[in-house]
Amino acid sequence: MAVPRILDSLRGAATEAGGALLGRLQHVRLPGLGQSSTTEDPETAARRWRAVTVLCSPEQVGTGADLPAPLAALGDRVELRITPAPGDRGTELAARYRDRPSDDDLRALRSALRESKQLIEVGEVLRVDPAPHGVRRPTPQGAALEGMTRRAGGEGVL
Amino acid sequence: MRAATWTGVNEVSVETVPDPQILNDHDVILRVRRTTTCGSDLHLLGGYIPFMRVGDVLGHEFMGEVVEVGRGVRERKVGDRVVVNSFIACGHCWYCRQELYSLCDNGNPNPGITESLWGQSPGGCFGYSHAMGGWAGSHAEYVRVPYADVGAFVVPEEVSDERALFASDAVSTGWMGADLAGTKPGDVVAVWGAGGVGQMAARAAMLLGAERVYVIDRLPERLAQVREHVGAETIDYSRTDVLAELREVTGGRGPDVCIEAVGMEAHSSGIQGAYDQVKQQLRLQTDRPSAVREAILACRKGGSVFVLGVFALMVDKFPLGALMNKGLTVRGAQVHGQRYMPRILEHMARGELTTEHLATHVMPLEEAPRGYRMFKDKTDGCVRSVFVP
Ligand SMILES: NC(=O)c1ccc[n+]([C@@H]2O[C@H](COP(=O)([O-])OP(=O)(O)OC[C@H]3O[C@@H](n4cnc5c(N)ncnc54)[C@H](O)[C@@H]3O)[C@@H](O)[C@H]2O)c1
Ligand SMILES: [Zn+2]
Ligand SMILES: [Zn+2]
Repeated sequence: MAVPRILDSLRGAATEAGGALLGRLQHVRLPGLGQSSTTEDPETAARRWRAVTVLCSPEQVGTGADLPAPLAALGDRVELRITPAPGDRGTELAARYRDRPSDDDLRALRSALRESKQLIEVGEVLRVDPAPHGVRRPTPQGAALEGMTRRAGGEGVL
Repeated sequence: MRAATWTGVNEVSVETVPDPQILNDHDVILRVRRTTTCGSDLHLLGGYIPFMRVGDVLGHEFMGEVVEVGRGVRERKVGDRVVVNSFIACGHCWYCRQELYSLCDNGNPNPGITESLWGQSPGGCFGYSHAMGGWAGSHAEYVRVPYADVGAFVVPEEVSDERALFASDAVSTGWMGADLAGTKPGDVVAVWGAGGVGQMAARAAMLLGAERVYVIDRLPERLAQVREHVGAETIDYSRTDVLAELREVTGGRGPDVCIEAVGMEAHSSGIQGAYDQVKQQLRLQTDRPSAVREAILACRKGGSVFVLGVFALMVDKFPLGALMNKGLTVRGAQVHGQRYMPRILEHMARGELTTEHLATHVMPLEEAPRGYRMFKDKTDGCVRSVFVP
């Protein structure tokens, strides 16, 4: 394809790239990005099974008191579904609350699923803190990021 | 201990920070012997990956000596001289078992950020922001290495520190690009970018049997290194129409394999360059993809394009039509280094893979701010600044 033709069309778009376009694009939300669902009503979204695939047999996940501690700690509030994954991929470990969960509940469930997977696959939960760092000069962006990372083990689209 | 930290956009400082400790059974602590700047750091420093906190320790390409081992470590012991892959992988999850180590499910304890950006979270990386796990980097006297049995490789005696260092990231990344792009004997391979990564992609393509390899850049000292130390041919894109030149030297077909090793701050001239700069600065696109565009347009029908350069989120004017109608395979990845490092160290030991020339500027860790300035501005022929803590 002729590169000059591409450049021509770029030239048109470049002149458009002003503040108006910026304003418009800042409000674009991409479906599925940043949260597990942008289209479902919160009730339906909260009732979805949240699942991780663990490289082990279904028996190795355990049941009741033998479940990995982070999941066992959630007790009867969550129901579990443990099924073999297709092919050689291990076991699908899915969980959801029986009642309507809060955002904190969902965060706890995401962390519990991720930590259980690590306990089964590796035998321990990976820790990053305390990590060496220099002086944390306080900045608004830093504070926001600290909040974000402190919660990031319980966030995401899971 | 002393460490080089990020203290603001394009600002690096050296400060005293706490020593790392063993936190997991599979950890080791390394006394760092050599640690180097990488093109990926520039994207971080420049604020293009906005998940850095003031005080974060930089660095992900390094080697050193094991000084402490966790209870669960089986294969490494105190005193081992090792080179460590930049990505942190558990070795046990399904991705690790497929040798797709940078996709490890268990290498990033903060997967929420990247999951939200990309739909799934890849593994963690040393010194590469809180999005990639918040791991402290290697530009320090000591660094904690999680999953050490998986990510730390003993350096053969005959391989020097300067050579082994680059097995950590630049060589393993380049090798991965050439390998996963499917380079075969008889292929013509083009590589965009003559930094450490591009040069090593070119060298790997040659070792995998490519018949002819071209490396594209504009910096004369880097192109000279390619001719002298890698043994590939060069194209200066500031003087030559790259697409026309590649068509001419490939009998009109285009290269079989095109490897992009430039990344999100690609330079380009003319209207395309201005367009990308403006859009990136206005945050209308996060990344400048000019080398990827060119690679896709250059590639022969049915050929393969591998994106090694780091991209954060969105690009604009992506030639999807060329990709689709020419039947291309486009692939990318962060480095699956654990898969290639044993073989790379063997090639290094036999003298078939040399990297010392990349270390154009070796200096004490205290001079890291100067080292980064030179590496960023590409002054004094700087290809890589290497720090000795
Ligand atoms: N995939 C991975 O795991 C991985 C690992 C390491 C580095 N990287 C990425 O690889 C890229 C290169 O790393 P590096 O350390 O070699 O960086 P570098 O900054 O030293 O080299 C980049 C080179 O690209 C050249 N360049 C700029 N625009 C170009 C264009 N339009 N066409 C051709 N060349 C162009 C520059 O002149 C420079 O020589 C970076 O984006 C880095 O983030 C990826
Ligand atoms: Zn790197
Ligand atoms: Zn893994």
